[in-house]
Amino acid sequence: MTDAKQPDAKQPDAKQLAAKQEEAVDPSAPVTGMDYFMKLEYHELLCPVVREFADALMDKRLIGHKCPKCGLIYSPPRGYCPICTVQTTKADEIEIQTHGIVTNYTVVTPVQYYGQEETEPFAKVSLQLDGGGTLSLQDLPGVPVEQVHPGMRVEIVWAPDDERHVDDVTNRSWGSAEGAIRGWKPTGEADADPSEYSDKTF
Amino acid sequence: MPADKRLTTHAIEFPYTRTLGPVYSAFLTGMRDGQILGIKSRDGRVLCPPTEWDPNTGEGLDADFVEVGPGGVVTTWAWVTEPTSKHPVDHPFAFALIKLDGADTGLLHAVDAGSMDAMQTGMRVTARWKDERIGHITDVEAFVPEAAK
Repeated sequence: MTDAKQPDAKQPDAKQLAAKQEEAVDPSAPVTGMDYFMKLEYHELLCPVVREFADALMDKRLIGHKCPKCGLIYSPPRGYCPICTVQTTKADEIEIQTHGIVTNYTVVTPVQYYGQEETEPFAKVSLQLDGGGTLSLQDLPGVPVEQVHPGMRVEIVWAPDDERHVDDVTNRSWGSAEGAIRGWKPTGEADADPSEYSDKTF
Repeated sequence: MPADKRLTTHAIEFPYTRTLGPVYSAFLTGMRDGQILGIKSRDGRVLCPPTEWDPNTGEGLDADFVEVGPGGVVTTWAWVTEPTSKHPVDHPFAFALIKLDGADTGLLHAVDAGSMDAMQTGMRVTARWKDERIGHITDVEAFVPEAAK
């Protein structure tokens, strides 16, 4: 897990401790606390279906797997349908549309714990893409949180070619892929009728 | 890296701060100020690192601190051939129990001796302090063979 050859993993505790010391008001005051910086770093192979998803993102495409039995679409692909308990393969891969409907959202009010980079409330939305497939944990950059609502029609905003990456796509990511998908922007069309997106996602 | 072997990396970080209590507070305040402190046990021995409780009786100890070291004797050691990023030095070293001068118990710390051949039970070592100290056991970067200092 911890690897001496990883330069970014080099002595983070020392930096933390030094930074803390700089904050100290009185350098001669008794030492009453000890910072203990714990870091677990995992290196793992991307599983094949997630790798396909990541490669497609770099090509500005969204892909999913369509269950051959029940027809449900999984994006990112999982390699199986947990409902039918059948395997899905490259043969079940389909292209997902890059426009769709906001089905739900959560406004996160950031608490300034260690590692939190956001300072203002922000929304994460779930999407149903036109033609099938869903994505969760997506951003609507530039849209005030109070204007976010179910039924909004949006289209994808890819990160520019020279900035696009899939470093944050892991075996456990849920399709947020912030390095590749900058977010989604409203198309300006009229809201979708609830019947278009109700009882279809889970 | 071959396309079929793509690695993904992620890290989980927990920045804890522990309160030290009266004894470790004194010990680490001493470290910051460039001195190593032991504590007197009920039977008059000097314990370093200091403990809050007498190891024989479990009774609380009075804050009777004694400066020890910075020199001492290695009583046992283990050589580390491949240090990780969490280790005190970036080259092979020893973890050792060091009975500091004036103390009756061993302090676990690193000995930076250069090579395993330079290590010996009973060898004398002394503390190599960091210039910038913050009140942490790593304020002594490592102990080094006394002759080398």
